[in-house]
Amino acid sequence: MAETWITSVGIDLGTSTTKLIVSRLRLGRTSSSFSLPRYQIVERQLLYASPIHATPLLQCDEIDAAAVSRIIQQEYAKANLRLSDIQSGAVIITGETATKKNAEQIVHSLAERAGDFVVATAGADLEAVLAGKGSGAEARSKQVKGVIANVDVGGGTANAALFQRGNVIGTVTFHIGGRLIRLNRFGDIQYLSPQIRSWLKEKGMQIAEAQRITYAQLQHIASEMARSLFGYFSGIEGDSSYRLLLAGAALDKVPTVDEIIVSGGIGRLMEGPYPETMEEVSVYGDFGPLLAHELKEACRSYPFHRIPAEQTVRATVIGAGMQSTEISGSTVFIDAKRLPIRNLPVLKLELHREDLQSADRLHKKIGAIMDLGARLFGSKAVHPFGIALTGFDYCSYASLQLLADELAAGYKRSFPASDLLVVISENDMAKALGQSLSIRCQGEPEVICIDQIRVEHGDYMDLGEPISDAMIPVVIKTLAFHD
Amino acid sequence: MSDIQVNLLLEKVMAELQKRLQREMPVEAAGAINNAENGAANDRTLFDPVSMLPNPRDKEGLAELVASTPARIGVWRTGTRPLTKTMLQFRCDHAAAVDAVYGEVNPTILDQFHLFTVETSFEDTENYLKRPDRGRILTDAAVAKLKARCMEKPQVQVVVSDGLSASAIDANLADVLPALLDSLKAHKLSSGTPFFVRGGRVAAMDHIGEVLKPEVVVLLIGERPGLVTADSMSAYMCYKPRKGTVESDRTVISNIHRGGTPPVEAGAHIGTIVKKMLEQKTSGVNLVV
Repeated sequence: MAETWITSVGIDLGTSTTKLIVSRLRLGRTSSSFSLPRYQIVERQLLYASPIHATPLLQCDEIDAAAVSRIIQQEYAKANLRLSDIQSGAVIITGETATKKNAEQIVHSLAERAGDFVVATAGADLEAVLAGKGSGAEARSKQVKGVIANVDVGGGTANAALFQRGNVIGTVTFHIGGRLIRLNRFGDIQYLSPQIRSWLKEKGMQIAEAQRITYAQLQHIASEMARSLFGYFSGIEGDSSYRLLLAGAALDKVPTVDEIIVSGGIGRLMEGPYPETMEEVSVYGDFGPLLAHELKEACRSYPFHRIPAEQTVRATVIGAGMQSTEISGSTVFIDAKRLPIRNLPVLKLELHREDLQSADRLHKKIGAIMDLGARLFGSKAVHPFGIALTGFDYCSYASLQLLADELAAGYKRSFPASDLLVVISENDMAKALGQSLSIRCQGEPEVICIDQIRVEHGDYMDLGEPISDAMIPVVIKTLAFHD
Repeated sequence: MSDIQVNLLLEKVMAELQKRLQREMPVEAAGAINNAENGAANDRTLFDPVSMLPNPRDKEGLAELVASTPARIGVWRTGTRPLTKTMLQFRCDHAAAVDAVYGEVNPTILDQFHLFTVETSFEDTENYLKRPDRGRILTDAAVAKLKARCMEKPQVQVVVSDGLSASAIDANLADVLPALLDSLKAHKLSSGTPFFVRGGRVAAMDHIGEVLKPEVVVLLIGERPGLVTADSMSAYMCYKPRKGTVESDRTVISNIHRGGTPPVEAGAHIGTIVKKMLEQKTSGVNLVV
């Protein structure tokens, strides 16, 4: 196979801004010509970045779908891009926008209209990870020792992802953002997010909508917010006020953070001069500029270094466009007619060496996962879920036969209505397993088996159309809309 | 020598060494070596390298480097020489490599897959090593046996040979061969009568090609053993190998063993490659994969 480029788009619908990027990813062979083929993404180029658009809203709680579609059509035209050119990418709906009442419908319809294999994603954890990839935090963590926290601060939320040696070791989200307090140039509060009211109360700061706030009061709020955030990551203070700003769960344990990167719209505002007057603070109709500079100031009193982000306001959209796609192994068992597959939930089947040597043990484990699948998705489901195999490092032919016997029989028994069995393996064994399964199933159900992809329990995945008949692009995500 | 025997020997040597070390070294450094050795004596295998550096500055970074390669890095030293463990490991691996060359393939595994045996003109292992050309020519008896027992002009002819490592066949044949036969079936390719060649070189497939006239030969052969593993196998594939075939006409998947190219996946992929050879009527550097 000669070298191949795929075009990938990213679209980010955020609390305050919407943006789009177009990139191309180069697939290159990373194995020697004496080994089994293995292709990976070896180069990523940004081709086009749209201007930053204000996210169009109909009312406070509804996104203007028609206006969003128009923005995207215009941007595609400017980027000189046809829908048929786009092979991969992701639409992500972030921050407070994800809580709008038509968010789910919008993101799915956008994904379908943005290209054949553009996937819909949402969720604070995924957003944090994509921002950390887009800002350069992930890449930096591969080069330096220690933990790097990327905090993407936008209009509504601050999404933090912690990276160590290229791996995500945790994510956490706070209600910290520029548009949580909106005001005019006189300091009249026009909007105060309900998400921060209890925190303000505990801090003894009594403010309300329609009230006028002084520059000093606002500066105090911004400074306290910065302290709650960094206090959490430094782990040194007894102050637990951050709890009232948490969106979702805190980390089990906060590791020692060595470097911090602030991306997002607020990350960009850190670059300008300090806003000295209420007029300068309120240029965007909110307290974002002040929050940005207080974060910058506060950083100095904590033990971590602040590293400038490579990308600030576009970190998430670049992450979504350029870093969300993975490539499966290149020796896989696929059926082009059955692809793409969208929003496939994944159940993880962890097998140990002993399980692969005993039909009884394997039968029990596979039985349990099929029962779980039937409970979650119903036994009449047509495409219930993908089975992710993990936990073992080597599979002999005898074990492979055992595994194929049990998987095929267990799946047919539990999901007689399904016409497709999808297996995702961490180890390089998909072609062998797919062949063994297919011999057993004889088309009922059909089999798709891919490998060299790591997925977690509860993840959702999108499987794209084959590239050179040998591999497929895959996007792994967590969907906030599903509970 | 088995791993257990090495470890027993090592324990004795290390106990003696430890006594001396504790007299000579600061407590902390001796403790670090002690810990590394305790872990090693219990469950270390040949494929599970652990750095012996007593106080690495970046422990995780070193562990990643060591895990990234089977090469012997981060092995530490005593004075200007390797540690006893490193030295014994090295000699143990070297001995395994020598055994692989001089060993014989286990006959039960050949019986299991109904492989009959023919020989090349290698005569004995010493001669096999000195005269590679002899390993490329079948004996007259072998030619007669192939003519008598094998299907002529098969689409695919599968051949197994010990080559330079009999233990590669013992270790991998049971995983590679059935996966390979499945993959031929999956691609609706027919194959002839498989057999085993004792004392074979890669180019023995040319002589086999002359005798049986297959369209494609797949030769599973033991590779020259190294210090990482003595059990590595290659699958050489060639479209119409005949007298005068050049090396660039052969396609290979190498490094097949449990720590390298996964045996079942290698077997499963061979069918795909053979299919392409039949479609394109070529192999080696001219094959577009």
